[in-house]
Amino acid sequence: MAEVVLKDVVKNYGNVYAVNNVSFTVEHGEFVALVGPSGCGKTTTLNLIAGLIPMSGGDIAIGDRIVNDLDPKDRDIAMVFQNYALYPNKSVFKNLAFPLQMRKLPKEEIARKVNDAAKLLDITHLLDRKPRELSGGQQQRVALGRALVRDPAVFLMDEPLSNLDAKLRVQMRSEIKRFHHNLNATVVYVTHDQLEAVTMADKMAVMNGGLLQQYDSPANVFAHPVNTFVASFVGSPAMSLIPLDVATQGTETSLRSPEEGWELPLSPMNARKANASSNGKVVLGARHSTLKLHRQAVPGAVPGKVYTVEPTGDVTFAQVFISGAVVNISLDPSVVIAPDEKVWVEFDQERMHLFDGQTTMALQAA
Amino acid sequence: MSIATGRATAPLAAGTTRKRAGILSRIIAHRTDYLYVLPALIVMLVVIAFPIYYTIELSFFRTPPNLQMRDKIWTGLSNYSTVLNSSVFHEVTIQTIIWTIASTVFAFLLGLGAALALHREFAGRGLLRALLLIPYVISAVAASYVWKWLYHSDFGVIGAISVALGITDEPINFLDNRQTVLASLIVVNIWKEFSFAMVMLMAGLQTVPDQLHRAAQVDGANTWDRFWHVTVPHLKGVSMVTILLLMVANFNSFIIPFVMTGGGPADASHIWITHIYQLAFGRQQWGVASAYAVILFIVMMTFGYFYVKALTRGDETRAGD
Repeated sequence: MAEVVLKDVVKNYGNVYAVNNVSFTVEHGEFVALVGPSGCGKTTTLNLIAGLIPMSGGDIAIGDRIVNDLDPKDRDIAMVFQNYALYPNKSVFKNLAFPLQMRKLPKEEIARKVNDAAKLLDITHLLDRKPRELSGGQQQRVALGRALVRDPAVFLMDEPLSNLDAKLRVQMRSEIKRFHHNLNATVVYVTHDQLEAVTMADKMAVMNGGLLQQYDSPANVFAHPVNTFVASFVGSPAMSLIPLDVATQGTETSLRSPEEGWELPLSPMNARKANASSNGKVVLGARHSTLKLHRQAVPGAVPGKVYTVEPTGDVTFAQVFISGAVVNISLDPSVVIAPDEKVWVEFDQERMHLFDGQTTMALQAA
Repeated sequence: MSIATGRATAPLAAGTTRKRAGILSRIIAHRTDYLYVLPALIVMLVVIAFPIYYTIELSFFRTPPNLQMRDKIWTGLSNYSTVLNSSVFHEVTIQTIIWTIASTVFAFLLGLGAALALHREFAGRGLLRALLLIPYVISAVAASYVWKWLYHSDFGVIGAISVALGITDEPINFLDNRQTVLASLIVVNIWKEFSFAMVMLMAGLQTVPDQLHRAAQVDGANTWDRFWHVTVPHLKGVSMVTILLLMVANFNSFIIPFVMTGGGPADASHIWITHIYQLAFGRQQWGVASAYAVILFIVMMTFGYFYVKALTRGDETRAGD
């Protein structure tokens, strides 16, 4: 096991920067998820760590070695691919044996290691089969086995669950988590599904447009998103964002809807944050569970109009138009509410987020 | 056990007989449908079935002195014994086998090399690919004439270059020499055919998933290992088809030997088809040529049967196990 250090890593194709000055450290035995929308550079980052594509700049260290110029095979890594990438003409046994065979290990040792790995992943009964005779989950397990059998310093996983159906994905999610726990393995895991990242990872690296947005524990990323991108990407449903103006009258600071004219008074702490805005505009962020819905006007609530109501069983989500933005609110399923109904939404001053209207960065109290 | 088998076979047998009856009644029930395909069926009979029948018929007759085949003379199986006992037939058969195997093997290997080289990205790849396709698209007759001149013992470029470089003292006589003529023609044939193999294999290479190569790279495979463990298994199917098509084309080759040497000198560059052509249209031995063609037909069908069987068995195991 080893740590992985990325320092100012750059990958550009001409003027297009797929990965732009990305730095982070994966500690021993840590499970780090690289997460972001399609084209954000997460898979490119993983391929750079693997050495499958050459870097344009920066350094990558695995353990105590700089691996910038090393071939993938010399980096002491193993990789699990999205489509499993099992050798279709080889049996499961030979698939698992292949990386050991390439390292010219003696036959008996290969057989022993393959059998150990197979036992660990519960695929011993599949060893004679060909990959196409296996279900998606079984293929995924074989792919994990092929990575595991070599006892690498770092496991790299490229969206390993995205080809599985929803039910199997949840099951394999816990299996991979268990796998990480049992082996105390260092894992770098790429996914576009923020839920996977939040549920599995010790830390998540949120990427967008080739840039690392935030690198922290899922709880911290969830509680303190650094900008509106992270705020809207992490969490399901996403954090609702409402662009508003800062209005100051004497010592009182409030947020004013540029469209509807209402004002929302701020607590002293939030007022200081709002006053730090660079252009007098802020984006108010709030998660569905921090909002309260009222049928009458109450102090600290702003007016809105119900757009849709989505019951999911144990919780009902209402989407409400507030100042032109759609805001998600979770409700008790017993609440009866209809589209186009006029409602008032109360914000929790302790748990609201304020972002700069221009830079989109989270505002700090000055 | 026996009861079980009895049970298993009885409905099966009943099923087959029912199916047989079914086909006939289905034809009657759908007679209009069959009426629609009848013209095509008649054309097929006229252009394929009739020539085959007529060739077989001719193979039992001898050309009459007046060369009119309506007065043809019955000879029974003597044409067949003439062909099978002729030393030229044996010589030509060996030449045909050499021609077919050497052309197929080298055209395939050269095509594979070219396809692998062109699979990588590099500057000028498109241009090189277009250049390498020229042999395939050029007319075989034109190419044969060009090569005939390249090989020419007095005016040939190849001879001139080899003398200029001091490799030989005088130009090699490629075509007018029993020892070198077949090899020289095979070289032309390989040149003509390798781009076909190249195109087929280039298409095959595109079906190899990139992720497999990456996986193999991470697993520690070097370039050769990756070629052997990832690329080759993926090319198996397209290779079998390419080799089959090349073999069939080479067994049936005609243009290159016919245009460049006419089978000479002293039959040294004859292959089956040129020899049959010479017997039929050079010496008017229609019956012998037909018997020859029938023998070839049987050989080719047997070969094709086993090859296709091997090919489909491979497919079944690949899909089934």
